[in-house]
Amino acid sequence: MSPTILPPLKKGGHATHCKRCLSGLPSSQVDLDPTKMALSFYCLGFLDLSGELEAKSKDWEREHWRDWIWTQQTREPIMASNMHAVIRQTEHIPLGGHYGTGFRPSSYMTATEYATEEYSDHNTPHIIMTYTALLSLSILRDDFSRLDRKGLLKFLRSCQNSDGSFSSEPLGGDSDLRTTFSAFSISSMLDDWSGMDVSSALRFISSCRTYEGGYGQSPSGEALGGTTYCALASLQLSKQLESLSTQDRQKTVRWLVQNQASNGGFRGRTNKDADACYCFWCGASLHVLDAGDLVDEAAMSSFIASCQFKYGGIAKTPGEHPDPYHTYLSLAAVALLPPNPSGEASWEICPLDPLLNATHQTSSWARAHIPAPKVDGDHAL
Amino acid sequence: MDVPTEEHLLYSQRPEWADVLPLEQYENITPLAPIFYTDEYKDATNYFRGIVKSGEMTPRVLELTEDIIRQNPGHYSAWQYRYKTLMALKCPLDDELKLMDELAVKHLKTYQVWHHRRLLVQQTRNPGPELEFIANSLQNDMKNYHTWSYRQWILAYFNDDELWSHELDFVESMLEADVRNNSAWHHRFFIAFQSGVRNGDQDRDAIVRRELAFVKERIAVAPNNASAWNYLRGILDHAKTPYSELQAFVKPYSLPQPPFGTPPEVVDLEDPLPSKEAQLPCVAAIEFMADIYEAAGSNDLMKATELWRSLANEHDTIRRR
Repeated sequence: MSPTILPPLKKGGHATHCKRCLSGLPSSQVDLDPTKMALSFYCLGFLDLSGELEAKSKDWEREHWRDWIWTQQTREPIMASNMHAVIRQTEHIPLGGHYGTGFRPSSYMTATEYATEEYSDHNTPHIIMTYTALLSLSILRDDFSRLDRKGLLKFLRSCQNSDGSFSSEPLGGDSDLRTTFSAFSISSMLDDWSGMDVSSALRFISSCRTYEGGYGQSPSGEALGGTTYCALASLQLSKQLESLSTQDRQKTVRWLVQNQASNGGFRGRTNKDADACYCFWCGASLHVLDAGDLVDEAAMSSFIASCQFKYGGIAKTPGEHPDPYHTYLSLAAVALLPPNPSGEASWEICPLDPLLNATHQTSSWARAHIPAPKVDGDHAL
Repeated sequence: MDVPTEEHLLYSQRPEWADVLPLEQYENITPLAPIFYTDEYKDATNYFRGIVKSGEMTPRVLELTEDIIRQNPGHYSAWQYRYKTLMALKCPLDDELKLMDELAVKHLKTYQVWHHRRLLVQQTRNPGPELEFIANSLQNDMKNYHTWSYRQWILAYFNDDELWSHELDFVESMLEADVRNNSAWHHRFFIAFQSGVRNGDQDRDAIVRRELAFVKERIAVAPNNASAWNYLRGILDHAKTPYSELQAFVKPYSLPQPPFGTPPEVVDLEDPLPSKEAQLPCVAAIEFMADIYEAAGSNDLMKATELWRSLANEHDTIRRR
């Protein structure tokens, strides 16, 4: 096959798309409110990965963003200021602090009058939002001096279910491989696994494995690209990837490779159409399995090139409207390829850490600043 | 769909809500990705925060939460609070399920719609109508992940012989409609192998034989169907049967169509042959044969390599590595 000439990757235009979303969203996107922390991560992640963060934002802006993210961190009760809260305790609204500390998706359930109180059962932290908030703060090079590490471990414990999985919130919500992966990732960033029962979580992961070699969202679900990434990355983060037999590993690789469609994009499930986000989920899965070289990189890049929207942003398929999720994951997928497959300079992207889903610099920052500082060999909190 | 009841009056304009203290959303400096809410949404959620704060659980809370959910089906606090209110008021849940029938079709891809439904059915303990509802819902989107997951949950959670009894027919009709629907194939595997053993299914070898016959027939109808080949591999792995036992069936699919077209007169029921119209050779069959040769080792490794090479250069260039 002759080498394909790739059209340029219009990173500047895509960065503008992400920056525009960070500045504001129309009312028609109100359904993003309960997942806004994740959306912010995709936008910031793109700016970081494309090297456009400094160019597209001012110092004071990044400082405000950090402050906003910290506002979403729920707090453990603090003794003095907490006294009135103890008094106002009613039967319906128990004190929330006993579920620990994490991040909320946004302020959408927080009332101005009660913003500094501890959270109610209807405004709890969320595990996926917590994972993405930690990454966003790392992108913004926060020093994490405001992180309540002890509360975070307690939050993880209150989200784990008896089958080993994690719920999105302490009182329920989704409970599947996405939320479970978030717990693995948070524990790994904290470099502290005392917030979870690792062996039962691993049992949950293996119960999601299907006959096709991928992993479903939950134990009886169909194999799916995104949750397969969640499973494999969790195994690797906890250094348990070796527990997969060679045969199982091959089966997973086979299924992942089979998901690359003839147009170069990846499918999330057998016989479905390719979608740009699965270029990351399947590509990163192959990477975790040390089989990243099995991706046909030229074909994948040309698929992603065709998903570029002419006014900026990348869509799930050619001709669709773009969004930060597909824009970020497409770039992340390209970042996992060997350097510059096409010779076209705009496709040069700094490499990505597939496990934390961030640039190596950001992931090193996270690993250096999120764990509790060690004092004389003891853990200080 | 709009059902105007109060001529779209804001809650702040309605006297019957005057006793509720609305609570504004907290926004400090420069929120990330602020959403420019409509006045209706801002108003409804102000009152919702007020209600949650006071802990009120009355019929008007159902109106308010439905209103918010219709504007933002992903608003999980509204769903959560609605459920608690339904329980506190001991509301007839069949009515709620009817409302969900409408909302599920509108918001098929919203997790909360399905989660709420699970909670309701755990209360009514009447899973029967759910299977029919799901079957109808799948007509709109035959591969919807949430819908299939919900079906698997209903079957496993209630685990009732009557519920299970029509499942094989159901999945067969789904595959009849689209033999490449991987969700249906996955569901079949779940029924046959993953969900325990039910009455009449105790002879596990017979189940394996039944499934092998089923998948072979489907491959004969449409050979280039990754779902069916993955299913075939799945059965063999599950039953720990070596792939080589399928060689007689698979081989004809791995070869180019015989040039002089001499299909045998006797139809082999055990190993159905590809039809004359079939596009051959079939990539999945070549791969399967290569796996057989590779497993056999020694002399056959050459054959395997040859097949892999033919895949890379001719039949499946995207996976040439």
